[in-house]
Amino acid sequence: MFVEFGVIVLRRSGKILIVVTMFVVCITVICNTAWGSGYEVRRNMDYTDIMLGSISIVTVLYIAEALGVILTGLYMLKLAGAIASIARLLNSETSNSYDNHPLSILRLKKIKELREKIVVLFEERNSLVEMYDKQIKELKVQLHISQKRQTHIEEIIYSIRDSVIVVDEFDKLLMANEPAGKLLGFDYKKSYFKPIKEIISSERKEFLKFLSHTKKSRGQAARKELETIQDGKLKTYDCIVSCIYDNNKQVCGVVAVLHDITREKEISNMKNDFISHVSHELKTPLASITAYSEMLADDEANDEETRKEFYAVIQNQAQRLNRLIEDILNTSRIESGLIKINKEPLSMAILIEEQLKMIKSYAEEKEITIIGQTPIVCDQIYVDRDMISQVIVNLLSNAVKYTKPGGTVTIESKTDEAASKIQVLITDTGVGIPDDEIEHVFDKYYRVETNKKQARGTGLGLNLVKQIVEKIHNGRVFVNSRVGIGSTFGFELPLASKNIEITV
Amino acid sequence: MEQKKVLIVDDEIHIVHVVAIKLRNNGYEVISANNGAEAYELACDIKPDIIVTDFQMPVMTGMELVEKLRENEQTKNIPVIMLTARSFAVTKEQREQLHISDCLSKPFSPRELLVNIEDILYQNELVAEAK
Repeated sequence: MFVEFGVIVLRRSGKILIVVTMFVVCITVICNTAWGSGYEVRRNMDYTDIMLGSISIVTVLYIAEALGVILTGLYMLKLAGAIASIARLLNSETSNSYDNHPLSILRLKKIKELREKIVVLFEERNSLVEMYDKQIKELKVQLHISQKRQTHIEEIIYSIRDSVIVVDEFDKLLMANEPAGKLLGFDYKKSYFKPIKEIISSERKEFLKFLSHTKKSRGQAARKELETIQDGKLKTYDCIVSCIYDNNKQVCGVVAVLHDITREKEISNMKNDFISHVSHELKTPLASITAYSEMLADDEANDEETRKEFYAVIQNQAQRLNRLIEDILNTSRIESGLIKINKEPLSMAILIEEQLKMIKSYAEEKEITIIGQTPIVCDQIYVDRDMISQVIVNLLSNAVKYTKPGGTVTIESKTDEAASKIQVLITDTGVGIPDDEIEHVFDKYYRVETNKKQARGTGLGLNLVKQIVEKIHNGRVFVNSRVGIGSTFGFELPLASKNIEITV
Repeated sequence: MEQKKVLIVDDEIHIVHVVAIKLRNNGYEVISANNGAEAYELACDIKPDIIVTDFQMPVMTGMELVEKLRENEQTKNIPVIMLTARSFAVTKEQREQLHISDCLSKPFSPRELLVNIEDILYQNELVAEAK
C-alpha cells in the first residue's frame, strides 16, 4: 500500500517539477522579449523609470524563480524522506545511507532498486496470499469434517440406549444423551458446559462421588453397581467410568456409561433362588424315598397294608422326583434347541385322563377334588406325547399346590372346529395371583412373591409349559386370576389336520 | 414311665407320616403340624418334650418358629431338631443363639433321628436331675 503510494507521489512530483521549471522559463522569456520590443516606448521614458521598472521585473522574476527552486528543493527533500522511509520499511540494504545523503534516494538507480524490491515484495505477498488462501480452504474443509465428525459422535451417543455422560477436567458437562438426562435429572441439550454438580440432582450423589473419585485416582476405568429409585422402582445400573487423557497423559475429562442391569439382577436373584429351591425340591422327594425304604428295611411297617402304603409313597415320590428332573432338563434342552420332538396324532382327552391318574394321589393327600370334563370329540392334536403330558401335569400339580384343602380343581377342554383349535382350561379355587405379578408368571425362575410362602417351587414349571406350547407346538398359553378366588390357566393348540391318521 | 411327646412339623405329609410311625413304634407320643404357625400354637398348648421341624415351610419357616419359641417363657427351653434340605442354611451362630440342639440334612435317616431324639432327651433329663 505504502509502496504503491510512494510510486504515485514520485511520478506526480516529477510532473510538478517540470511544470514549475517551464513556468519560470516562460516568464523570463516573455519579460526579456517585452523589454526588447518596448525600446521605443522606453526611449520616451525617463531613464530612471526605465531602470527602476526593468530592475523590479527582473528581480521579481528571479525571486520567483529562486522561490520555485527552493520550494521544489524542499518538496524534493520531503519526497526523498518519504521514499527513504518506504525504503526503510522495505528493509533496504542501503537504507542507512539515506540519512547521510537524503536526496541520494532519488537517484534513478536507487529508485529502480526500490521498485525491484517492491515488485519482489508484491510477488512474495501474492504467493503468501495464495498460500494463506489455500490454508484457509484446507482449514475450512477440516472444520467441516470436524463438525461432521462431532455431529456423528453426538448422533452415536444420542442413539445409545445406555446413559452416556462426558465431563471435562473442570467437571463441566461436555456431552450427554437423553437417557443420561432422564436418569440424572437434567435437560441434556440445555446443560452443556454447566458444572455437573449444579445440573445433576442431589439424589444421585453417589454417582457424582464415584465420578470424582475415578478422576482423582487417574485410573483407566472403574466399575460400580449403583442402585437408584426410578418411577418408584428400584433400578440397578452397571456404571463404568473411564478417564480421558490428553497428549501429556494428563486426565482432561471422564466418560461415564450407565447400563441398566435391573432385569439381569432380577434374573440373577431368581437364579440364586432357583438353586436354593431346586435343591430343596429335589431333596424332599428323595428324603421320603430314603426314609420309607429305611423303614421297610428296618421292618418298621407292621402289617402288609402299611408296607403297601410305604411302597406307594416311594413310587409317588420317585415320580415326583422324575417330573422335577424332567422339568429342569427339558427347560435346558428347549433353550439349547437340543430336544428331540416326536410328534404324533393323539387325543387330548386321553392325554388328560392319563395325567389325572398321575395327579390323583397328590390331590387326595391335600384333600382336593379334581373334576375332569373332557369329551373325546374332535380333540385330535398332532403333538409330542411326553411334552404335552408334562404341560397338563404341571398345570394340574400347580393348581393343587396353590389350592387349600377342601378346594376344587377343574380341567376341561373345548374344541373350536371353525378355528381348528382346542383349548384346555385348568381352574382352581386357590390363592390367586395379584394383578401386578400376573404378567410374569410364565417367566423363568419367577415365583409369585405373595405366594412363595404358600408352597415351594422352582419357578420352572410354568415357563416350561409356555415353551412347550408356544415354541414347540405353535400354541398359546394364558392365565386369568383373582386373589382369594382362584386362577384359570389354559393353553390352546391347533387341531390335527384331517390328512394325519389319528390313533388313540 | 411317662410317654415323651414329640411335635413334628413339616409341610410334607410323607415326612411327618414316616417320622410319626418311627417314633410311635419306639414308644413316643407324636403330634404333628404342617407349618410353623400351627406348630407354635400346638407347642404353647401341649408343651412337647422335643420339636422336630423342617427348615423351609410355607406360612412360617422353621427358623421363625424357633425364634418365636425362644421368645416365649413357656416354650423357650423346648429342645429343637431342625431338618433341612440345605445344611448350610443354619449357621453355627444361629444354632447357638437359638439353642437348636441338632440339625439333620435331608435326606435323613429316621433311625438316626430317633437316636438323636433319645440322646437330647436323656441329656435334658440329666441336667434336670442335676438341678
